[in-house]
Amino acid sequence: MVDTPHPNRSAEAGAPMPRTSRLTALLHRSEALRGYLLMAPTLLIMTLGIAIPFLILVAMSTWTRDGFGFDTTPTINNYLRVWTEPVFGALMTRSFWISGVATVATVILCYPMAYYVAFHVHRRKMLWIILMTLPFWTSYLLRVFAWKVILGYEGVINSGLMSLGFIEQPLEFLLYSQEAVIITLAHAWAAFAILPIYVSLEKIDRSLLEAATDLGDGPVRRFLRVTLPLSMPGVIAASFLIFIPTTGDYITPALLGGPDGAMIGNFIQLQFGPVNNWPMGATLAIVLMFWITAVALAFLFLTRALRERLT
Amino acid sequence: MSQGTYIKRHNRALQIYAVVFLIVLYVPVLFIPLFSFNDSVYVRFPLQGFTLQWYGELWTREPVWNALWNSVRVGAVVSVISTMLGVVAARAITRYRMPGKSALVTFIMMPLVIPGIIFGVALLVLMSRLGVPLSLYTVGLGHLIFCLPFAVATLLPRFEGFDPSMEEASMDLGENGWWTFWRVTFPMVFPGVVASLLLTFTISFDEFIMAFFLTGTDPTLPMYIWGQLRFPQEFPSVLALSALILIASFVLVFVAQWIGRVGLDQNKETP
Amino acid sequence: MDVLDQLGAVREGKLSRRRFIKELTAAGVAVTMVPAGARRAMAASEDQATFFTWGGYDIPELFQPYQAKNGELPNFSIFGGSEEALTKMRGGFVVDVSHPCNQALPRWVATGLFQPIETARLSNWADVMPEIVALPGNDAGSGNVWMAPFDWGQTSVTYRTDIFELEGEESWDMLWDQRYGGRLGSLSAGADAWWCGAIKAGVDFADIATEEAFEKIAAVMREQRPLIRVYTDDTTTLEQALASGELVAAMTWNSSASLLQAEGVPVKFAKPKEGALTWVCGAVIHKDAPNLDRAYDVIDSLLSVETGQFMINDYGYGHSNAKSFEAFDEATLQGLGLSKNPLEILQAGHFQVPQTQEWETRMNETFEQIKAGF
Repeated sequence: MVDTPHPNRSAEAGAPMPRTSRLTALLHRSEALRGYLLMAPTLLIMTLGIAIPFLILVAMSTWTRDGFGFDTTPTINNYLRVWTEPVFGALMTRSFWISGVATVATVILCYPMAYYVAFHVHRRKMLWIILMTLPFWTSYLLRVFAWKVILGYEGVINSGLMSLGFIEQPLEFLLYSQEAVIITLAHAWAAFAILPIYVSLEKIDRSLLEAATDLGDGPVRRFLRVTLPLSMPGVIAASFLIFIPTTGDYITPALLGGPDGAMIGNFIQLQFGPVNNWPMGATLAIVLMFWITAVALAFLFLTRALRERLT
Repeated sequence: MSQGTYIKRHNRALQIYAVVFLIVLYVPVLFIPLFSFNDSVYVRFPLQGFTLQWYGELWTREPVWNALWNSVRVGAVVSVISTMLGVVAARAITRYRMPGKSALVTFIMMPLVIPGIIFGVALLVLMSRLGVPLSLYTVGLGHLIFCLPFAVATLLPRFEGFDPSMEEASMDLGENGWWTFWRVTFPMVFPGVVASLLLTFTISFDEFIMAFFLTGTDPTLPMYIWGQLRFPQEFPSVLALSALILIASFVLVFVAQWIGRVGLDQNKETP
Repeated sequence: MDVLDQLGAVREGKLSRRRFIKELTAAGVAVTMVPAGARRAMAASEDQATFFTWGGYDIPELFQPYQAKNGELPNFSIFGGSEEALTKMRGGFVVDVSHPCNQALPRWVATGLFQPIETARLSNWADVMPEIVALPGNDAGSGNVWMAPFDWGQTSVTYRTDIFELEGEESWDMLWDQRYGGRLGSLSAGADAWWCGAIKAGVDFADIATEEAFEKIAAVMREQRPLIRVYTDDTTTLEQALASGELVAAMTWNSSASLLQAEGVPVKFAKPKEGALTWVCGAVIHKDAPNLDRAYDVIDSLLSVETGQFMINDYGYGHSNAKSFEAFDEATLQGLGLSKNPLEILQAGHFQVPQTQEWETRMNETFEQIKAGF
């Protein structure tokens, strides 16, 4: 229907000037061209902002630092260093571990919440959704900082436990540890788990559930056989939305991680800051992106295989 | 919602979980306003007493206002540009058949699946190679790239559910292209536009890591707050400002919801 | 991405287009009107010089003469270490005045980012002690200097006298004390920590660039790493942690100990038997300083007697103005670990020696790896 040529259109738009009319006629004939033209500004900016910086990033990763400047003779030494020196691999693994645990924890903790709103709240659903997303309007930095106040040596948890007499000495592992980073990430990214899961639960056709009930499935069986598989798209989306940005997080480990909780993002920043080795920083950024892509693809492949096995 | 009859039973455990969940969600956030009334420069327990001093001092803290103003400017420009670009891109994607379209869409959506630190670093490298000095413009460019996919993603469903025959009818009635867009297309995609403006503004306003790499002499608000977290000279004022922003955004969300309901009622009255 | 769309629908519901435009206009007006007062103030503050400095130097007490002359305080921008500062300025960050230390000075000057200071324009210059002006690489010709020395002091161990059980003499070993593993703190910049490690390892600063010294210091730093609870460039964090007992000892500058003592926290700034790390820091002017006249006002203010007395009395630092010491008797200065003769203090400790950029980068790289656990 869209494609039916419309005599009115071209006549209307280009009547006064013959040359433009030829151009507009061409535009009208080739809808692909019109589409590209409409997308051109967006694509131009994205090319400027993604493609070109990335090419330069790749180029720089093959350079060598030379005092304040660079030696631009291409070399793969930086990649070799990332491969051979244990510190880089260890930080990369630690980043994936921390954000992986945080992702799993967030999704598991948020699923029942999304489930509750999708199935047990009948009136004022929107109010619940707003209530759940409202905290995420506050500054991310300050939410992370708030956790520092909670987990700190004289923080809420320690002073609370001490005044209740459960502990004599403040618990020191709460702050400046990987656990602190994981807890904070799980809290900070909760909205990104709740919303996709809620949407996928909400989309489930209720009659399917009734059918399962009619076929004699108990609540648990029904959940495992119908609800959970059908909400998997939401779970997967949530996992991606949390896992990918958190692997490169900088603020949380910097404020709460301490020496053992530092992640690859902190190390990349150091290369551009005090260490002053930009080519190494570029290399680390590229290696990080490579691994994220690899992990994401593996995850997608696994879930797809799993779904095929199930159905 | 009446079709959910099969699940009438109240699940007490789930209900308790939901309430606990909300409490855990809110408690850390509410520490911000709490400490903004605390009569001590140090953010730690026990609380020292009630004061409005930090709110009073806030008016004299020029750097805070500078940073807020910088963030508002960047956020406003970024949200308008990214939404405008998002509108044309979403229209092109939904309206025209183009070879390689899905590749282009994937390309636009890429920032969604790449950690911000990589973008920050890449843009920093680009700027330094081009010899462009870091400023609010470089931050704005970074935010634009980060926000565009969100704008497109928000607007796409609006355009997908859009009936092109309406536009054609308008054309047939003798309206020109621009007028058709303004009178017919725009009102239909309008909620998406508002959503996109709000979302991109919020993202830009709170964005840290790109600003961290791309800020020059003028800090955005998150950059300023970061400085205050590390070197807390004026930190309580930052808490006071954040509490105000918090309240403002809470009010905004609720007002938006209320207006939305009024709009709905009106729609019902005058179909 | 219907999630986002839904969010949008939640937020805005169904506003009419006309109402939307009306509200957008109103919001626009609000945005331009509300902070009008604030912006007027901003316009004024844009005329003030910007001082790019360490945390803790951004306080009004150091700028009384400046404020008296210009009506307001200068603007401040804060860094956590001199490498961070230099990287930022090389990336195009323009300020009026910044604050390096003697060890970094030649490298800072070599970047070409700074202009010589015309000492004739500083009213307090005549009172500046010549011994600390004559630093390596500070001569800019015809009586001018690159850096106007301002503060001098030590990096040493601040420890809680009530919790930390001292075994024998005060020493750098305190920060390597296994008994207090997990309750020790350190400055995170290699510009302090690595040099303290050198003292602990017994490396002479003249040999600090040798391969052997490098290995020795790295070994010492690795040994210390598991004992450290937090490496930070924010002195407030260290001070608060010492005050609460979270840390029992930490590597700090003079000011942390002085501030904590003033608050009644039982701490002492150690005089390690191996000697403390000593340094002189000062002000430099950026070559593109937008407010050059006020840049000189900032420096003159830093060099003034009022500022000096605050630095000595409240922060426990030495000051470059000889007259600043006149208000204090010898006993008070002794109590603060200072002396009217700066060389006496600086020579008693280990005075930092400028190094090449190559060394600096390698040192930072190694130290960051050690901090990360390798």
